[in-house]
Amino acid sequence: MKNVRVIYEKNGPCKYISHLDTNRVMLRAITKSRLDIWHTEGFNRHPYITFALPLSLGFSSTCESMDFRVLNDEEDLAAIPERLNACLPEGIRVLSCREAVHKPADIESAKYEVKIEPLNNGEISEEELKEQLSAFLALPEILVDKKTKKGMKQVDLKPYILACEPQDGEGVRLSLTLPAGSTLNINPNLLLDAFAEYSHTELYCEITRVGIYVKGGADFV
Amino acid sequence: MYPKEIEKLLLKVQKPGRYVGGELNAVVKDKRAVDVRFAFCFPDTYEIGMSHLGIKILYSLFNEKPYIWCERVFAPWIDMEAEMRAHDIPLYALESGDPLTDFDFIGFTLQYELSYTNILNMLSLGGIPVLAKDRKELDHIVVAGGPCACNPEPITDFVDIFFLGDGEEVDLEVIELYRACKKDGRSKDEFLRLASQIKGVYVPALYDVTYHEDGTISAVTPKDGAPAVIEKRVMMNMDESYYPDNFVVPNIEIVHDRAVEEIFRGCIRGCRFCQAGFLYRPVREKSVECISRQCHALCQNTGYDEVSLSSLSSSDYTQVVPLLRELNSWAKPENVSLSLPSLRVDGFTDDILDEIKTVRKSGLTFAPEAGSQRLRNAINKNVFEDELMNTCRIAFEGGYTTVKLYFMIGLPTETMDDVAAIAELGRKVVDCFYQTENRPKGKSPRVTVSASSFVPKPFTPFQWEPQDTMDELREKQQHIKNSITTRKITYNYHASDTSFLEAVFARGDRRLNAVLLEAHRRGMRFDGWSDCFSLEKWLEVFDYCGIDPAFYANRRRSFDEILPWDHLDYGVTKAFLKKECERAYNSEASPNCREKCMNCGALKYKGGVCYEKRQSDL
Repeated sequence: MKNVRVIYEKNGPCKYISHLDTNRVMLRAITKSRLDIWHTEGFNRHPYITFALPLSLGFSSTCESMDFRVLNDEEDLAAIPERLNACLPEGIRVLSCREAVHKPADIESAKYEVKIEPLNNGEISEEELKEQLSAFLALPEILVDKKTKKGMKQVDLKPYILACEPQDGEGVRLSLTLPAGSTLNINPNLLLDAFAEYSHTELYCEITRVGIYVKGGADFV
Repeated sequence: MYPKEIEKLLLKVQKPGRYVGGELNAVVKDKRAVDVRFAFCFPDTYEIGMSHLGIKILYSLFNEKPYIWCERVFAPWIDMEAEMRAHDIPLYALESGDPLTDFDFIGFTLQYELSYTNILNMLSLGGIPVLAKDRKELDHIVVAGGPCACNPEPITDFVDIFFLGDGEEVDLEVIELYRACKKDGRSKDEFLRLASQIKGVYVPALYDVTYHEDGTISAVTPKDGAPAVIEKRVMMNMDESYYPDNFVVPNIEIVHDRAVEEIFRGCIRGCRFCQAGFLYRPVREKSVECISRQCHALCQNTGYDEVSLSSLSSSDYTQVVPLLRELNSWAKPENVSLSLPSLRVDGFTDDILDEIKTVRKSGLTFAPEAGSQRLRNAINKNVFEDELMNTCRIAFEGGYTTVKLYFMIGLPTETMDDVAAIAELGRKVVDCFYQTENRPKGKSPRVTVSASSFVPKPFTPFQWEPQDTMDELREKQQHIKNSITTRKITYNYHASDTSFLEAVFARGDRRLNAVLLEAHRRGMRFDGWSDCFSLEKWLEVFDYCGIDPAFYANRRRSFDEILPWDHLDYGVTKAFLKKECERAYNSEASPNCREKCMNCGALKYKGGVCYEKRQSDL
């Protein structure tokens, strides 16, 4: 039995399905692909799969991971992406498959690319929005209400912004690195909602997760 | 693929996965390479529509033809509708993202009456004129089929063509005719006239309806050579009838998220309240081999690990135990579970329990429908109390603790004693649990009693009956509530006001078209959803249109009245329905099709159960 990890991208129509739905889509793809993987042994047996870092509904990603255990040690891991892709809907594509190296608990941060667009057409120009964004990011503290297990709590996001750089290209673009994982996870929407409030502008943000990192900044593999 | 401009709206609405398509097995074709584009519209949400078997069958059937591209369209929920209207985005099909105006056919399935306003709303959202007379060209042909097509009179102003009965052949014949008419440059009127000659096709524009002064119908007169009586279509050989080996697999969770296999069409029982039991006669079974092969292919092509065996009464399948054994021969090793809905109280045996228990265990649901034996006889629900108790005992011994019981109130001939007997029957099931020796130890039973309000339907022996008024129904609901004395019973009941509206449209005539149009103008839709339904608003519409809804819901018809659906032929004769109604008045049950032929008329289809050997003949 081998612990394997597939890395997949999620975009297009699959951007709009929740984590729970993604789980179901993956289970059916595995069943349909006839990949011989370990099943739970309870009364209601089902293929056992885990996801390291759930992705919010509405986000795209180029670096999602799913783990399972293949029963056959001789299984050709290189063939698995193609086998699964034949069974997956438009918008989820497996890119690679290999034995898992890191544990999900090793995850420390994630990088997002964000494209910001004002929804109230014409009221604010791209240049103005860019200026507002620089001013916003230069604030000494960015206080937001964050939902925690103990209720709403006010937190300052500023120290959590591990990296934040404007990106070239059409529109207002940002590359953003934030803490991620089971101990501390900051959703980029927290920051973007705070910016919307700050700029008094309704925003449409396209968010793509482009990297998941472990301690020291290495890719989670 | 969804239109790009909706991306900005999607994150503002609930469950955006409803609106994007792109599912596994969805069919995408090159629109330039097809002759006919068919928008299959389900007048309810994605989760409801995607659970419907008929759309799956016809979607695959149409798309097997290289010259047809069939796509799916669902009613957007009210939040999405508001966004679409605010941003001028027309209703689009999920496969191409193209608006309804790009389609040759706009087809609706008529599953129940409260979805009629959604049909109008979907047409208008798609930019299609809602009135048939305003669609003058040979395109955007609005067609409809499904159970409510048996009395389509309330929506004849909006729909060009109705398909009666099984759609597998007739739909294709009409599409083929359209293709030919299009090629020959014929007009819409010529096409409709030709279509009306096809068996199973009802073109309402070719019939004039006149009324007596008292509001009843005086005559239905065909014109332009349309047939006086329109006969339903039936697929007689179910093994050879088309069945998909592939379903579109939704990305988001839907109501029935599993593979579905139809095991037979029709029902032998003839429960007098049940429209499906008369519309789909005669019973036609698939063979065990055919079912097993189709199920296996479906599981392999979809990745589903659950199969539901669909029919009106699964335990009436003649080979039910051999079927379950055959299915389990591959299902068990492949971790596929089987579910057998619509089990009858008297059809539940140890053998069946053993086979379905092997994989998964859920609660059990039975529908005695009425509390007293007298009333069960009157409605011809041939289920006896000792059978129910025996079944519950088997279930409790098998480890079940939850039993749901479904009943109806407002049935013809019902008295308050019959109503109280519902609570009494629930109590007896609770007692049965404690009297079962091998019951699950340390657990207490949970019995759910649900009571819905009876709606008299066309083509049933109760088609002449008045529905109880809403006050009477409410009184009966309270009477059950007051008669329940144990907390082991949970009592559910449904609002009677939606049943009232359902009753109006179920047996309505053409004058209700005006009511629907006005309701649509006032923004009404999703009447089947309590979030949207307002009886008050509907009563205002009826009042505005000068129509008394009680005329349709609460009036007793005489046996010789011309009913709005009398020119449609579903195989069962009016004489038979009348005889069954009279037996109901005498609280007299009728034998089922396998016990004795009651001469309903379906024999003329020359097959199915009518030609099976009866036990009494052997």
